[in-house]
Amino acid sequence: MPAVVSKSGDQKSAEAEVENFADDLGPFVVAAETTRMAMVFAVACETDNPIIFANDAFLELTGYAREEVLGQIFNFFMAHVDDQAALALVREALEGQSETDVEINYRRKDGTKFWATLFVSPVRDDDGDIIQYFASFVDLTSYKDEQAQSQMLIAELNHRVKNTLATVQAIVSQAAKTNADPQAMRKAVESRLFALSRSHDLLTRENWRSAGLVDVLHDALEPFRGLDDQSGRVEINGENIRFSPKAALALGIAFNELATNATKYGAFSNEYGSIRIDWTVEPSPAGRRLVLVWTEKDGPVVAPPLQKGFGSHVLERGLAHELDGTVQLDYQTAGLVCTMNIPAPGPDHE
Amino acid sequence: MSDLLSGRRMLVVEDEMLLLLMIEGIMEDLGCQSVTSAATVKKAISLIETEFFDAAMLDMNLGGEDSSRVADVLSERGVPFIYSTGNDSRDMAEGARNHAVLYKPYRETDLIAALTQLLASRSN
Repeated sequence: MPAVVSKSGDQKSAEAEVENFADDLGPFVVAAETTRMAMVFAVACETDNPIIFANDAFLELTGYAREEVLGQIFNFFMAHVDDQAALALVREALEGQSETDVEINYRRKDGTKFWATLFVSPVRDDDGDIIQYFASFVDLTSYKDEQAQSQMLIAELNHRVKNTLATVQAIVSQAAKTNADPQAMRKAVESRLFALSRSHDLLTRENWRSAGLVDVLHDALEPFRGLDDQSGRVEINGENIRFSPKAALALGIAFNELATNATKYGAFSNEYGSIRIDWTVEPSPAGRRLVLVWTEKDGPVVAPPLQKGFGSHVLERGLAHELDGTVQLDYQTAGLVCTMNIPAPGPDHE
Repeated sequence: MSDLLSGRRMLVVEDEMLLLLMIEGIMEDLGCQSVTSAATVKKAISLIETEFFDAAMLDMNLGGEDSSRVADVLSERGVPFIYSTGNDSRDMAEGARNHAVLYKPYRETDLIAALTQLLASRSN
């Protein structure tokens, strides 16, 4: 970047002219000096339009000292001085022919780049000839950052939606495979869609950062408790350990399968049964493990199913796979016992 | 055409559990000898390094992590594979151009066709 430019006679007289109208138009020049909008004046008649005035906001925006700016050509702090398209945009702005906002990538003294919208107003003499350009720059840095951020969020959202659609497809395909009766199929699909939806609600309340295990359980079991006060039928003992959104969704689906099974065959299928869910975090050579035990009692006498259903498949294979742990279903006569042994989530989600 | 898939040992690297269960079901119906699964980059790489697979399908994004390291190890070991992704085609990873890609959600028939083509091009 050029240092202080040796000033031509014209440059000196142009700067002097600015000083003069500073005297004539006192308050307006003070306003231009002190406004937070970055501004410069450049000479219209000379080639390359040397700058003859720069306000404090402009110096702050670009990091230059005033004497480093005065006398420089108008385009001297463009980030890409050989970018013909950008040069054409500036030319159009100077000629007053821009139809849209002119966004130019500029470079600060320290080499960092920033985007700014360039606005140009011509300053005319008594004959109507343009003698100077009055240019202002709106820093687009925070706008561009927000734009990049929201584009990232949209891409992430799209990714999530597509994965969710694939999950819904898997739910429907599974339900169609195992239910000949359309009503039963509809019920199977709805139960899992609503479980997914409740987990989404929970995660939305938590800004999709994480969800606590106690909350995941409460939300998953809520539709199974019915209208009566059945709070005594579910006992939850454990810390509200926080899981990543993905793990929370998987756990929500898994607890929905367990509760569905309890409603059909287990502790929720009569009036007396109850379910206790306890968990602890235990150290192990492979890192901290969370061991959760779901114990049903006082339901009808339990016998192991002749053929394993989708629910047990989701738990023993799906959940174990997704959370990289083990899940065991033990069909004890007194009631089903499900034991999950999964890696305890790290502190990232707390 | 699905004869090509029967008796095969397949690796599925996918982190959505219900989707994985569906893919496994499809592969079992096609007569694949075994279907092994991984939900993380780490687990997938350790499986590829210790077991033999005829073919694999690889989700480009595993729990927020880019899976291109898994693709590298599959290529090194000469395991043919197809990609699946929840992204749209514009966000396609650079190294993915030489592989078939299934965009979620995809039809069962598209999955079967992509796997069949993968194994057919190998046996020729």
